[in-house]
Amino acid sequence: MLHRQHLYVLFCGGILAAIASAQAPARPGYDINYIGPPMEDPVMQHSKETYVLFGCSYCHGLYLVARGEATDLMHSRLVGSDENGNVIGPLLRRGIPQTAKLSPMPQFSDLSDGQIADLVRWIHYARQQGRYKEVMEAKEAGPGNAAAGKAYFEQKCVSCHATLPKKYDAAALTAQILKPQALVAAPSWKVDRLDDTKTAAARQRHGALLENYSAGDVVNLMAYLQSMK
Amino acid sequence: MSLTRRDFGKLALAGLSSTALAQPAAKPNRSYINGVQFGLQPFCYHDLAMNRENRPILIQRLVQNGLGMVELHAVWYEPNFAGPGATPEEAREKLRNWRLNPPAGYFRDIKKEFDDKGIAICTVYINVGDSFTDAEIDATFEGAKAIGAKGIVGSYGLAVAHRLGAFPGKHGMYASLHNHDNLSDPDAFSNEASIVKGLTYSPDFTATLDVRHFTAGNGDCLGFLKRHHQRVSAVHLGDRRKNNGRSAPFGEGDAPIIEILRLIRDNQWPIIALLEFEHGTLRTGVDEVQLMFDYCKRALA
Repeated sequence: MLHRQHLYVLFCGGILAAIASAQAPARPGYDINYIGPPMEDPVMQHSKETYVLFGCSYCHGLYLVARGEATDLMHSRLVGSDENGNVIGPLLRRGIPQTAKLSPMPQFSDLSDGQIADLVRWIHYARQQGRYKEVMEAKEAGPGNAAAGKAYFEQKCVSCHATLPKKYDAAALTAQILKPQALVAAPSWKVDRLDDTKTAAARQRHGALLENYSAGDVVNLMAYLQSMK
Repeated sequence: MSLTRRDFGKLALAGLSSTALAQPAAKPNRSYINGVQFGLQPFCYHDLAMNRENRPILIQRLVQNGLGMVELHAVWYEPNFAGPGATPEEAREKLRNWRLNPPAGYFRDIKKEFDDKGIAICTVYINVGDSFTDAEIDATFEGAKAIGAKGIVGSYGLAVAHRLGAFPGKHGMYASLHNHDNLSDPDAFSNEASIVKGLTYSPDFTATLDVRHFTAGNGDCLGFLKRHHQRVSAVHLGDRRKNNGRSAPFGEGDAPIIEILRLIRDNQWPIIALLEFEHGTLRTGVDEVQLMFDYCKRALA
């Protein structure tokens, strides 16, 4: 027979157990402190885990902060020029055996196309997050050059954005340039959205731009866009 | 320097008498398993930055994994002067001065930290290079000796090794040559010929055969050990695939890990097996090291 006091203790114990359970690692054998909590987008989470599992993070860093002599993928021009793995994929398959470094980049010829795609997806995602942070935290980008911004806009933006957005203030405009709100949500898997090639192309395009913006590019664009208001 | 195979054999034997080749610890060591002394290359704990501040965590993890021997990178005990306000040249000069004038009792205290937990430091891993003065190399050996190491090891090539040859004997220690798999660099230790050439530079040199890289470079680990075991003080034990292939969990690559361990055990060679992995894992470093260690224990059961 249980007294009220015992019931109270059991009740509190149950609450504490539930809290502990909610804070427990996602699953056994998953180093949550290193890999981080599971992401909202399971495709991206799977890509991240693939990147870890094949040892890429060991040299290049989980968030592309390289260790030792490994190539800095965050600022590599080669990575910046890649589109859907057209550059990274073949490089992964053959490795870089000829090098002045101590350890050549290994070849990953035994990986499936899907695994290569996962690695490419994570590299681009991590690079976009990292470059966004760099640009937002840049302190010495200067006031911006409107003429340079105009040239950039005409080269990179005008094919899609014939008219200039005028509804944003400076901070919101910067955020929209770097991460347009319409494109940051996880992709939908509803059948009627899967064929939305326009959004997919916009997402791809802005991701590629974000990976390659310098802080100077962004302040120049801002200077140009604000001069047009 | 040009040596015949016979000269090399003489040097090898002479080397045995003058270098402090690895021996099982005098006291029973917790990771001496069925005739093989195991240790760890602590790069394995990928999430643990290698610096002085994290040394207590390293020791805790070694104990947790049941390991009683470690190849300790110098950065686990040397200060890091790099950072805001210091140019790389200034930081390098400060480090040199520190090495030449370490605080009194500093190394003794480091050694005690490991001794108290039953962990022997077999070697110090440090990349001696062109920026080292002769006095600094001597100080590096003295520091390593003071924390209980029998030798130093690092990722240097033939040119640096040629200069290094005169130093270890002065301190009653050895310097070990560690291979990678860069077959395109003539200065690199990457295959049997380059390692053997390096060993001729000094009787106080040993080889630390990295079986992962040696396998990736299409080397024959078992053949190398059969031919040169007298000059091998340790193996870096891990797995990779041939043809510059990727790192792999134990048993999933081409490195003959089980055969290497049995070769060492059955011939009673005093070669330390240092667990090392660069393959990816979703597990914690401690869990992955335990899996590797258990794999090796089964190989020797």
